[in-house]
Amino acid sequence: MFRNMFKSQLPQDRSPDIPDLKPLECSVLYKRRAESREHLTEEIGDYDDLSEFSDQTFEVANYQYVCPTPDVVNQTLERKTSIVKVKAEWSNQRLNGAMSFDKMICSRCSEGFEPHEKIVNSNGELWHQQCFVCAQCFRPFKDGVFYEFENRKYCEHDFHVLFAPCCGKCGEFVIGRVIKAMNANWHPECFRCEMCTSELADSGFIRNAGRALCHECNAKVKAVGLGKYVCHKCHGIIDDQPLKFRGEVYHPYHFNCTACGVELDSNAREVRSRPGFAANDMNELYCLRCHDKMGIPICGACRRPIEERVVTALGKHWHVEHFVCAKCEKPFFGHRHYEKKGLAYCETHYHQLFGNLCFVCNQVIAGDVFTALNKAWCVHHFACSICDQKMNQKTKFYECDLKPVCKKCYEKLPTELRRRLRRQHEATPKKYPPPTVA
Amino acid sequence: MNQTPVSCLPNSSKMSKAKRVLEEAKEIQNPEIDLIDRNISTFEELPGLFSMLNITRLTLSHNKIKCKYLNNSTSSYYCCISNNFSAVPPGLANLTNLEILNLANNHLEELPLSLSSMPKLRILNLSFNRLYGLPRGFGAFPILEVLDLTYNNLNEKNLPGNFFMIETLRALYMGDNDFEYIPADIKNLKNLQILVLRENDLIELPKEIGELTRLRELHIQGNRLTILPPEFGNLDMAGHKSVFKLEGNEWVTPIADQLKLGISHLLDYLKSETYRISYTRYQTNKPPIPPPCIDKAKKISRIR
Repeated sequence: MFRNMFKSQLPQDRSPDIPDLKPLECSVLYKRRAESREHLTEEIGDYDDLSEFSDQTFEVANYQYVCPTPDVVNQTLERKTSIVKVKAEWSNQRLNGAMSFDKMICSRCSEGFEPHEKIVNSNGELWHQQCFVCAQCFRPFKDGVFYEFENRKYCEHDFHVLFAPCCGKCGEFVIGRVIKAMNANWHPECFRCEMCTSELADSGFIRNAGRALCHECNAKVKAVGLGKYVCHKCHGIIDDQPLKFRGEVYHPYHFNCTACGVELDSNAREVRSRPGFAANDMNELYCLRCHDKMGIPICGACRRPIEERVVTALGKHWHVEHFVCAKCEKPFFGHRHYEKKGLAYCETHYHQLFGNLCFVCNQVIAGDVFTALNKAWCVHHFACSICDQKMNQKTKFYECDLKPVCKKCYEKLPTELRRRLRRQHEATPKKYPPPTVA
Repeated sequence: MNQTPVSCLPNSSKMSKAKRVLEEAKEIQNPEIDLIDRNISTFEELPGLFSMLNITRLTLSHNKIKCKYLNNSTSSYYCCISNNFSAVPPGLANLTNLEILNLANNHLEELPLSLSSMPKLRILNLSFNRLYGLPRGFGAFPILEVLDLTYNNLNEKNLPGNFFMIETLRALYMGDNDFEYIPADIKNLKNLQILVLRENDLIELPKEIGELTRLRELHIQGNRLTILPPEFGNLDMAGHKSVFKLEGNEWVTPIADQLKLGISHLLDYLKSETYRISYTRYQTNKPPIPPPCIDKAKKISRIR
């Protein structure tokens, strides 16, 4: 607005009278921008344009990303403004005869000069002292420093207010290097990767789903989208099996076996060289062959090396937490286990499965076991099923429905039942006859 | 339970002998009481027994106890008058710590209703009695594991409705009874490992027995069975830990033939498509029901 007013006034008003304007401090724009005045420096430098290079745009899944070549990004594509910073020379003396006095006119008002008037000479142009003022505020230039833009001269302050770009992140003026990217201007230190916050001004960036990302983060995002890892060393996507080492993932081929030097594949094993220490920065990598030669026990359940407590049972080694009951899969943690047909069981399930529960108390038999009639008993629960009197291994007993019956009780059974039992007993062959070939 | 049983010293009168056993048990705090073959016919002969609340085992085998005396220490006649049939009189059910109750070889014809409320009873032996039925609600035992009803006069008609609701049961002995059919409710006995149905009058078995996956002993010998439901093939009866007795039935020829080859052959055959087809044929065209194989009139349990 100021400029428009000024433009219209310039041709008619030859005398450089200063219009009656409101003081600059009243301007809202001034106030807002004045807050950041301390950032203003005298150096007004390049405008870098990191405009996005969209020639190589291609779509991968949901991502639209722009992949500029670094030299293009870093290149200053266009010099938008030409700013001349001039230290005006104050000519206090009469100019010499080379330039005739009466031909001299003021560059602004085109009037001549009084003989003893002070004349300002800047780059060969002359001004009345009162005409050599800021095009915006009409005040003389402080220390003679002015900024020129489109043939108009501005004091430092007004030049910033009117033309300096605002940073898209912090909202301050950008003085010095301006980064133009993502449809905004930025301080170089304000334009950062949205994931890792590293500066992008010199490394270039990739637009990924409306975010500016550094090359590494973009690769990571892309890899996650594809369900793959990114190599911690080369930042490339790992297409095959990754190798985990010291808490990061890598292409296995970046490493060689600590022992034999062969290039590693994903079968390589990370060995904790200081067992029991939590830090993994001492870990080393070995190829599978060398690893097996080192004699590190392998867990019989998970097939991984055992680096801490080793349980040795059933002819194998186990992680403590992997040596479990074959039935309930709870770890024994040092409790007694029972072996049967190459499997380990906890006490309860061993007896539940293999029948050493006492027929009377239905509890696991702790001591000696009486086994008879397809059943088992604790020593002190082995008794006649009719009179509950204790029996021992020497006691003779009869069988009725696979229950033990002492001789006394058997004799008290109904005679006709005894006869039937005897007949049945005699008729039952000890073994079924083998199948005959017809 | 591992304490020594109370010794039975020979003494003059049987009455005082039984009394002495109880007093001795009280003195040494013996929780296991043996009163075997004492010619006991009423609980009057056992004064103070129902107040010995600490006992865990009570064995009264080979006596002459009749049902009515189980209820009360006094005679049933007196009990009826005094209680006016209303309340459950104090009796065996008082012994809340009892885990094993053995009444084998007595003269029981009926049982008190309160028996099934005993909270800790695990083993109940009622074999060799004269039971013609079981009381209503008999299946309410909370933790009964072994129930021996061998040699009584029970059949499917005189069982109470909830008989097969004793889910904790792991052994059920019902040999030498009068069952012709077994109710399908038997499938509720999920923990059953032993089922004895030896020498009943069984004509058919329910296919639901095939759901008793824990069964390790199955005695069905000496019945009038001809066919088996194909579901029996699901039972793990061929293992060395299992016993499957099925002799003394009039099995149809294919079953009899497989039985000769062995239990595992029979189970495989029951599972086969061939048998499934012939079983459906047997269902519509039933083989003749064999006559009862045992003359039960001679059974001592029939004495009234």
